[in-house]
Amino acid sequence: MTENAPASMYRTDEGMGLWEHRGKVAAVGVGHSPTARRWDGRAETCVGAISLIALRRAIEDAGVDPAEIDGLVMDPVTTTGAYWPKGKPVPEEVTSAFNSTDNPLDGIAGLSAEWILKNMPELTGIDFTMYGPGCMSNAICVAAQAVGDGLARTCLVLKSWHNYEGRYYQGGANAGSDLPGTAALHALWGTPACYGTALQFAEYCRKYGKNHDMMAPFIENSRQNGLKFPEGYWASHRPEEITPEDYKAARWIAKPANLFDNDLPIMVSAAYLYTTAERARDMRQKPVYILNHAASNTRPRSLTPTLDEVEADTARTARKIYEGAGITAADLSFENMYDGFAQFHQFHIEGLGYRGMKFGEALDFYQTDISIHGPNPILPSGGNIGCGRSRFWMHTDCIQQIQERAGERQVTGVKPEVAVSGGPMPLGGRFTVWSATPD
Amino acid sequence: MILISFDIDGTLTVGDPPGILPMEMVRAVKEQGCLVGSCSDRPISAQRAIWASHDIEVDFTVSKHMLPDVKAEFAADVYYHIGDREDLDKRPALEAGFEFLWPHEAVDMPWVEGT
Repeated sequence: MTENAPASMYRTDEGMGLWEHRGKVAAVGVGHSPTARRWDGRAETCVGAISLIALRRAIEDAGVDPAEIDGLVMDPVTTTGAYWPKGKPVPEEVTSAFNSTDNPLDGIAGLSAEWILKNMPELTGIDFTMYGPGCMSNAICVAAQAVGDGLARTCLVLKSWHNYEGRYYQGGANAGSDLPGTAALHALWGTPACYGTALQFAEYCRKYGKNHDMMAPFIENSRQNGLKFPEGYWASHRPEEITPEDYKAARWIAKPANLFDNDLPIMVSAAYLYTTAERARDMRQKPVYILNHAASNTRPRSLTPTLDEVEADTARTARKIYEGAGITAADLSFENMYDGFAQFHQFHIEGLGYRGMKFGEALDFYQTDISIHGPNPILPSGGNIGCGRSRFWMHTDCIQQIQERAGERQVTGVKPEVAVSGGPMPLGGRFTVWSATPD
Repeated sequence: MILISFDIDGTLTVGDPPGILPMEMVRAVKEQGCLVGSCSDRPISAQRAIWASHDIEVDFTVSKHMLPDVKAEFAADVYYHIGDREDLDKRPALEAGFEFLWPHEAVDMPWVEGT
């Protein structure tokens, strides 16, 4: 039975010094599945099936014999808001297409490591599995620590997402009449998911004299970058830009957060192959070395973090990121912090002090050249806004940029040497520092 | 004069998901002299691109919450909005003083005859 990673695997505290495995772990292979807006009910497109595609592509990309792989780290949860309807029969034609586990919805509405191993017979050498629950940001921290600690030598990392018909966040327990604890305040009687961030953004605008329209260049840039990400949803299915006019005309979801400040739930899976720096040198792709991983476990005092709490924590997170990696903000070639919701991206990068930025300055920074061709790239992956809801485009982009195989999306205004990515939320995120060299 | 606002996703065949109303229907309705356009969550620039790619010259392209602006701008005897969502099409259409039609109802309207 696969267990969640223990808290000790995350680097949560300040003052821990350089990460003990700094530069000794590397990401090499990348594999993505095709995307879809929603599951169409076929066996070959269920979340399990697309996960197998991503994993096999990552293995192929790294040029590794599957039998050499000895670790698998993943997130067993494949949604935050699309639930299998209570009482709906599990489609037998789907379950019969795969080797199943005790959970009939495994591979359809969730994903266990056991399901993966039952359906990838070529993985004959796996003796380490672990969950990094939440999102890819968690899983890659766990994988990096596991490889560094010697728990695995060549490790696959996987994150997958499913999406069904119907409205996100409105099924499952949210459709019932009661929920335990404070979840009822959000999910049952609640507000749109972006409400908390919108509240922080409103306070941000008040405090610093900014306004929602100032987000337009960021949104436009994100979508432009996303349309250069061939694996992304928008590039694959609906190559639509979001112009400043489009952005400003969109309807409010939770004012001052509008439709395009939110991401689009999709079906998608991504996998990476992690290994030791030593082993990585013989693989097909250039190694991207991990200089550090860091985590925030800060709990807000109330249901929604205040702006003050957000700013204090993003600054604290940045100190942890830099301390463990042995770098400063000046060493960052570019940033790929999370954006789903768009309105907290500036909290992340202000906390980082990216390009000398201080709190309250990001929206002014957005009015300058933030493109992949300029000296100050902002979110070259395009993130969730540019590619659809996955929470992993930013990690893939860091790897591909540093490997200098990001294609049309390749940054040209800076040399891609050191980057940071992570999320999701400003409080509670997990972060990775990537480098072209191990030191 | 009849004004007809079309939702896109789940309504028109070019939508995501596809609806049941073909672009030929929109073209024919336009050629009959109706004022037509789209009211969608798609970016306005994307709406314009869809119409242009089908060589249909529409009278308006607006975001989902802008039906009142359409009514203010265009004089018509009757205003219709056709869409597939209770919360995002029907309710705001009625609030804006539009008649509302589900896509399957729209195909039975007299202004669709001959399309």
